[in-house]
Amino acid sequence: MHETSLAMGLLDSLNQMAEREKAKKVLKVRVKIGKLSGIVVDSFVFAFNALKEQFPKLAGAELIVEETPTLYRCRACGHEFEVETVFFPECPKCGSVDLELLSGEELEVVDAEIEV
Amino acid sequence: MCDVCGCGQHDHEHEHSHFVVSDDTTKKNVEIKKSLFSENDRVARSNREHFDRHGILAINLISSPGSGKTTLLEKTIEALKDELKIGVLEGDIETERDAERVRAKGAAAVQLTTGGACHLEAPLVHKGFHALEKQMEGYPDILFIENVGNLVCPSSFYLGEHIRVVLISVPEGEDKPAKYPKAFKTSDVFIITKSDLLPYFDFDVEKVKKEALSLNPNLKIFVVSAKTGEGLDEWFNFLREKVQEKKAAKVEG
Ligand SMILES: Nc1nc2c(ncn2[C@@H]2O[C@H](COP(=O)(O)OP(=O)(O)O)[C@@H](O)[C@H]2O)c(=O)[nH]1
Ligand SMILES: [Mg+2]
Ligand SMILES: [Zn+2]
Ligand SMILES: [Zn+2]
Ligand SMILES: [Zn+2]
Ligand SMILES: [Zn+2]
Repeated sequence: MHETSLAMGLLDSLNQMAEREKAKKVLKVRVKIGKLSGIVVDSFVFAFNALKEQFPKLAGAELIVEETPTLYRCRACGHEFEVETVFFPECPKCGSVDLELLSGEELEVVDAEIEV
Repeated sequence: MCDVCGCGQHDHEHEHSHFVVSDDTTKKNVEIKKSLFSENDRVARSNREHFDRHGILAINLISSPGSGKTTLLEKTIEALKDELKIGVLEGDIETERDAERVRAKGAAAVQLTTGGACHLEAPLVHKGFHALEKQMEGYPDILFIENVGNLVCPSSFYLGEHIRVVLISVPEGEDKPAKYPKAFKTSDVFIITKSDLLPYFDFDVEKVKKEALSLNPNLKIFVVSAKTGEGLDEWFNFLREKVQEKKAAKVEG
């Protein structure tokens, strides 16, 4: 859906970072994308690679995506569990729906490797 | 005026880079730890400050195409236009005439051109709001932002609104809250529209309310029909009350 605009935003902010750090080029950038974030990773990577050519310092940048699992902790019994679905689950141990989301919604740029 | 476009004062977020590793002299690792939404969120916060400064109540409407957003706006404008100044930013791409429809009811409206995008983003709202200010030669009491018809993307993009409203129409079916949990978790108000159609569809209002509240216990829920007028007065009164709160906050602030 909005992978293209997010990829463009990422490239813009990397380009600003590269200017600020007086980098010759950006070699790698690492992002975390949660399964609940609604982002289609393939489309995001595709958009990143298609758009990066516009930025001389980013044209060779490699995008590394870490997909984070959907992890919940049950507030009733403390059980931690992973689910594959995007629907709100119940605790497989005790059936409670009082759950805390530990990971899955991430959409974060972690770090970048630059050449100075 | 406002910051983003250089028309006022602005607290720039200063960026600090943290160097973590530096294994050889030409390669450096820069820690970033920023959300991919951070630029959108920065502009959204600035929109919000802008609205607050002028005592404007901003409302973001999200739903699937055809749930009745524009129709509800038409009814709302008809009912409130003599007591409140209403401005509309129209992001819906289903019908190009949505801005015209609300203008015909007596509100100021600007059609936002999303270029086919599936959601609105804060910078476009910022631009659209300036166009609306010009059109109105002043400020609205309520700013409605009708988002692009889509229940997925718009819930990820904060626009600077005070109130986010999610709408589901009766014909869409009662499984919507479970299918689109994020829209419900991030909203403040849930409106079930087209209640006049309840006799013709399997749609258990109490069950849907319960499910929505289990996703978000703070949701304020309305059940309305633009056709029969059911529930509309409650909605109008809610808006009146929120506008009053906003004005009071501005006077105090
Ligand atoms: N029966 C019924 N139809 C409605 C109601 N509200 C809107 N509609 C119809 O639903 C269709 C889509 O409405 P619209 O407001 O354009 O939806 P939007 O895409 O969310 O802006 C139109 O044909 C409206 O006439 C209602 O309360 N009852
Ligand atoms: Mg519409
Ligand atoms: Zn989108
Ligand atoms: Zn449990
Ligand atoms: Zn202004
Ligand atoms: Zn501005």
